[in-house]
Amino acid sequence: MGKLLRVGVTLAVVAVAIVAGIWVWNYYLYSPWTRDGRVRADVIIIAPDVSGWVTQLAVRNHQKVNKGDLLFTIDDTRFIPQIAEAEALVEQKRVAWELAKHQDRRRRLLPARQVISEEDLDIYRIQAEAAKASYDLALAQLNSARIDLQRTRVVAPESGTISNLTLREGNYVTRATSVLSLVKKNSFYVTGYFEETKLQLVHVGQAARIRLMGDSRTLSGKVTSIAKGIADINTNGNQQLLPEVQQTFNWVRLAQRIPVDIELEPVPEDVNISAGMTVSIYLEHE
Amino acid sequence: MLHELGFGGMLFSPLVVFVPIAFALSFVSRLVLHQLDLRRLIWKEAWFDVGLFVCYLAAVVYLYESWT
Repeated sequence: MGKLLRVGVTLAVVAVAIVAGIWVWNYYLYSPWTRDGRVRADVIIIAPDVSGWVTQLAVRNHQKVNKGDLLFTIDDTRFIPQIAEAEALVEQKRVAWELAKHQDRRRRLLPARQVISEEDLDIYRIQAEAAKASYDLALAQLNSARIDLQRTRVVAPESGTISNLTLREGNYVTRATSVLSLVKKNSFYVTGYFEETKLQLVHVGQAARIRLMGDSRTLSGKVTSIAKGIADINTNGNQQLLPEVQQTFNWVRLAQRIPVDIELEPVPEDVNISAGMTVSIYLEHE
Repeated sequence: MLHELGFGGMLFSPLVVFVPIAFALSFVSRLVLHQLDLRRLIWKEAWFDVGLFVCYLAAVVYLYESWT
């Protein structure tokens, strides 16, 4: 009897352990969670549309700005005479057009058509049209110069927070060269890198619980999309266009990780969140 | 939910934390059973100890899951 009890107790514990072990294994390895998530945000990179010195810098680093707020202004000294020049050119072309029109009209109204050839008539008509085109061209140049002047004031394209501002008054900025970045307001989302072994458990629309590193509060979100491709380095070609097929270990294979985007529900006010933070993500079972 | 655990800036996989807890629990049980002289009720001590450890591990994971 004592022997039976001893064997029974041990076997019972072992049996429970097998069941519990299988549960832990499945839970840990095959439930859709990852500790490899990052907070991301829409970042707008701002580049001026005209070149020149920065005469006024209206923002400080990490300052919140609203859409349309002035960020910085570029020296407009060169643009004002350019507009005057363009205006003068418009006037000149307008007068030239008037003259050509006048000449054309006068010749067409000559009473005796025999004093002027058909060809001359055509020439004056076409000259008038050419003068009109020159006038339009000058007008377009004037508009362009005005746009340049307007673009010396760089404004925020969206509400958000200035990030990593190294621009200073007096810097020379070049057209189309980015000078500062703006993290768009309320645009935070989370990208989780899920191992391919767990990817079949991920579905668009699935609810997610998200924890920032070192914070006990749980944020919630929803899966919005699953990436449809990651790079395969085996297909890279070398200089002779042969594929650089990587050698592998025969026994151990590491799982690829696929980015899954998760939309965040509005984050409580007192939670500081920045793009680049690490998060753990747990997806609810459907 | 499972999530990364941080201590003083170092980040650990949750299992790295759960395993020592389960180990400590098994160690305590072993001491207690020994004190109560109940270890003579065990047929194969090694099987029993390993089984108990796995049970504790599962219990810790389960409790942690329902706690957070």
